Amino acid sequence: MSRWKTSLAKIPSPVRRYGLAILTVAIALGAALLLASYGFLGVAQPLFLLAIAITVWFVGPGPAILAFVLSTLADDYFFIEPRYSLLIERSGVPHLVIFILIALLLTWFSAIRRRIERELRQSRDELEREVAVRTQQASLLNLTHDTIFVRDVSDIITYWNRGAQELYGWTPEQAVGKRSHDLLRTVFPAPIDDITAELLRTGRWEGELKHVKADQTEVVVSSRWSLQRNEHMSPIAVLETNNDITERKRGEEEVRNLNQQLGNRTTELEAINKELEAFAYSISHDLRAPLRHIVGYTELLQKNASSLLDEKGRRYMATILESAKRMGTLIDDLLAFSRISRAETRETMVSLEQLVKEVQSELWHETEGRNIIWKVGPLPDLYGDRSMLKLALVNLISNAVKFTRTRPQAEIEIGCNDGQKDGMVVFIRDNGVGFDMKYVNKLFGVFQRLHRTEEFEGTGIGLATVQRIIHRHGGKVWAEGLVGSGATFYLSLPKP
Amino acid sequence: MPTIGRILLVEDDPRDVELTMTALEEYNLSNEVVVAVDGEEALDYLFCRGKFQRRTSENPAVLLLDLKLPKVDGLEVLQQIKSDEKLRMIPVVVLTSSREERDMIASYKLGVNAYVVKPVDFHEFVNAIKELGVFWAIINEAPPGSIKKK
Repeated sequence: MSRWKTSLAKIPSPVRRYGLAILTVAIALGAALLLASYGFLGVAQPLFLLAIAITVWFVGPGPAILAFVLSTLADDYFFIEPRYSLLIERSGVPHLVIFILIALLLTWFSAIRRRIERELRQSRDELEREVAVRTQQASLLNLTHDTIFVRDVSDIITYWNRGAQELYGWTPEQAVGKRSHDLLRTVFPAPIDDITAELLRTGRWEGELKHVKADQTEVVVSSRWSLQRNEHMSPIAVLETNNDITERKRGEEEVRNLNQQLGNRTTELEAINKELEAFAYSISHDLRAPLRHIVGYTELLQKNASSLLDEKGRRYMATILESAKRMGTLIDDLLAFSRISRAETRETMVSLEQLVKEVQSELWHETEGRNIIWKVGPLPDLYGDRSMLKLALVNLISNAVKFTRTRPQAEIEIGCNDGQKDGMVVFIRDNGVGFDMKYVNKLFGVFQRLHRTEEFEGTGIGLATVQRIIHRHGGKVWAEGLVGSGATFYLSLPKP
Repeated sequence: MPTIGRILLVEDDPRDVELTMTALEEYNLSNEVVVAVDGEEALDYLFCRGKFQRRTSENPAVLLLDLKLPKVDGLEVLQQIKSDEKLRMIPVVVLTSSREERDMIASYKLGVNAYVVKPVDFHEFVNAIKELGVFWAIINEAPPGSIKKK
């Protein structure tokens, strides 16, 4: 059967169509002749009409006309008197005319019918294609993670994509047909009338909305609405695209809170700083006055009553004076130290080499008459507060001078390792008395001393000052030492 | 015998007053010292008000002014002196315990003539006071209208 169909398909289409016309007429003629031989006359015309009808139905009006012509000729030749002749008697004319009219009518009706059917089929096909495209587009909308839904002018949801389902937890079946603002319990940033007015005026609206999900949790979305209008420009639907910005909002909120806290902390710190300043001010004024009185009156006593005192008494007075003076120095040092943290830094490019030279010459009264070998390597320039950095160097270098005092030949080396990745390390090395590494963590504490005052003078504020200055410059300070073999102090400073 | 100008010492602490007087005695300057124990009293003296209503209206040759004072503080006193037409010529020396930079800056901005930090060491203190006294009360030519003693 199928082989027959394929071999049929090989025949060119016009031949097939007209062939069918000839074939049907031939069959009709054969059947009519057969019936006529059995005495059934008068069936020829319906048979020919049937042949024409079949032809027009299956292969169209062209072949049908051929079938019609053939049928007319065959009818005339075989069945209209005089038979077996194409001549027509007068009595046969109406017969033939009726036949022709009916055949034409049939052909015409059939052709119209066929055309309507073809058009119907075409529009059905178009519709199907359209539906296929739309379905594909809709499924594409489902691919996106963005939340998209469509609602009509009365706010009824008509489309609900997968993103919407993922965000809100409502399935399309649950959502479609509901009023969107009821379903999502929308909280608008502005009166809804204003929003609607903007939407109608510009065709779009953007803003942040609060929605409630199916699980009753709240979500903040960045929402974009687009208005769809029909050909008469009346609004018919709104496409709403929403992005979940809850996390971002929470982040923003957190940042705001942190800033607030930071602001509070800053205010607190400022208050503490003010307090510290007031404290230092009052120390500066009030703590010194009694000291001055102790010293003053002891001096007066020494001057006026020293003859009344014995050796012991005079020694006591000398000790009072010495202690009071030492306390004066301590107060001054402490105030200077606290000033370092309070003072504003004025940063410029500073040449360390130049600074070291200045410090060396300022320490002349301590180095005079001493045998000191200085090894000052090339030193870098850096960005910092000149006077503070100088103070740090004064402390470190005068320490080196002080603690090498017992050496017949002092060696003080100042250099720089520039090879570090994120900074440079300046070191000050001496061959002095050194220190025990087990006390290294005490070295930089305020008023911490590793030597008795009788051995080496000092208040123990110098290295604390150094540390504070270097910290304020974003650097670090540490030390290495060995009792009897000298000490090395390192400063790491960020590169300019 | 040189003329000695009157010194107005504004100082609330009696011990400081005594030590200062001791230092000034050596040059016999102490007799010409008037002591005001707070800023208000100093202003009363200068403007001849209150208990100083009857004093002669001449100005002191120099004012030794402490900064931390009860009632009206030293900077306020200084500000009032320097904004008064009649008093602004009086030399004012701030004599204070404090080495605070902001006090120093504020004083100079108000037009102070000298700023001295009282040394803790007594000898230094005595020397400083003596030199101040000698300079301002004897060597310096006080502006016209100052109290002087032949």
